[in-house]
Amino acid sequence: MQQPQTTSPRPGVLLLGESSMNDPAHFVTMRNAFEDLQRRTLSQIPCDFARLVYLASMREYNSATYHHEGLAARYGQEQVRDVLEACHRDIFCNLVSLPLEGLVTEIEAYVRASHEAPSGLIHAWQELEPYRVAVPMEADSTMVQLFLSNIRLALEVLRFRLEQSQAHQPASSPPPLPDR
Amino acid sequence: MMPGLAFVAAAALLVFLLLLSARDENGDDLPATSMRNRNRLGAADALRPAELAFRIFSPKDREFIRLTRSTRLERLYREERRRVALHWVRRTSRELSTIMRHHRLNSRHSQNVNVAAEAKLFGQYMELRFLCAGLVFLIRLFGPHALADLASYAGELYERLGRSMPDATATNHVAASGGVVAR
Repeated sequence: MQQPQTTSPRPGVLLLGESSMNDPAHFVTMRNAFEDLQRRTLSQIPCDFARLVYLASMREYNSATYHHEGLAARYGQEQVRDVLEACHRDIFCNLVSLPLEGLVTEIEAYVRASHEAPSGLIHAWQELEPYRVAVPMEADSTMVQLFLSNIRLALEVLRFRLEQSQAHQPASSPPPLPDR
Repeated sequence: MMPGLAFVAAAALLVFLLLLSARDENGDDLPATSMRNRNRLGAADALRPAELAFRIFSPKDREFIRLTRSTRLERLYREERRRVALHWVRRTSRELSTIMRHHRLNSRHSQNVNVAAEAKLFGQYMELRFLCAGLVFLIRLFGPHALADLASYAGELYERLGRSMPDATATNHVAASGGVVAR
């Protein structure tokens, strides 16, 4: 089984900050917040797709601003918001640049980590398309189109594989008995 | 017939150059964030147009789907890629118009307009618009991998023609140059 590539935001992601030119203290705080986020949270998440979903869940639906209580208490609301947004965009960019096969591996890892029944999750995702909310605000429209299109394809590939594996299961194994 | 061929060749050249530029700089697999547009924090913000084109028209993805041997997947892949490819071409065309409009407005206020340079720029603009229109036509009609498919079809026709020729010399000549077939 293929493992997803580890392409979480690199430490260098924050090094070119314009704000660092104007305010080194601000940049140091952001870098610390970034490293904290990376060390305690993002590195514990098994794949980039799950990181994307996690970072999107840090964004409020109505205002589209990012919140993280723990980090904000330590580093300040504004810095943390910028860090979360930058990480979200970076991971989105990584996922869009993956070949289709790589995205299938990512989603497969996400399905495994979710502990949901693969067929149920794939069906729900194909029906409801909840992955649309994982897209960062004001992302390039062609990138968004390609990302959504690739996810639709990846889900269909996973469904196809699931159907194939079910079709190849030995017919001799008896069906599970209903509970009485 | 000739304008049609020139049109296809021009469109092929555009896609080829786009793919080549992405390939030259990045290799087969795109690198991490180093070549991408960056936001004010330095994080990757967007893929460059050539990278995006490379991803959309990637033969690797097509091969991946083809290996599943599922007609349902192949049909879905063609539909999805056609939609994204058309979006990309139309958007490129729109952005091109916007850039030219801005340039025209700026030129009006300019004191020293170089007429020759402006004429050349306009020529390039028209050429690109024409190519975009051509790409839309080709993608709509033959799908996102139209040019590769057309080249492959031309190769097959060429081979078939060679086989059906009674003249053995011509047949050998065609067989010897079998590299034409693009698969």
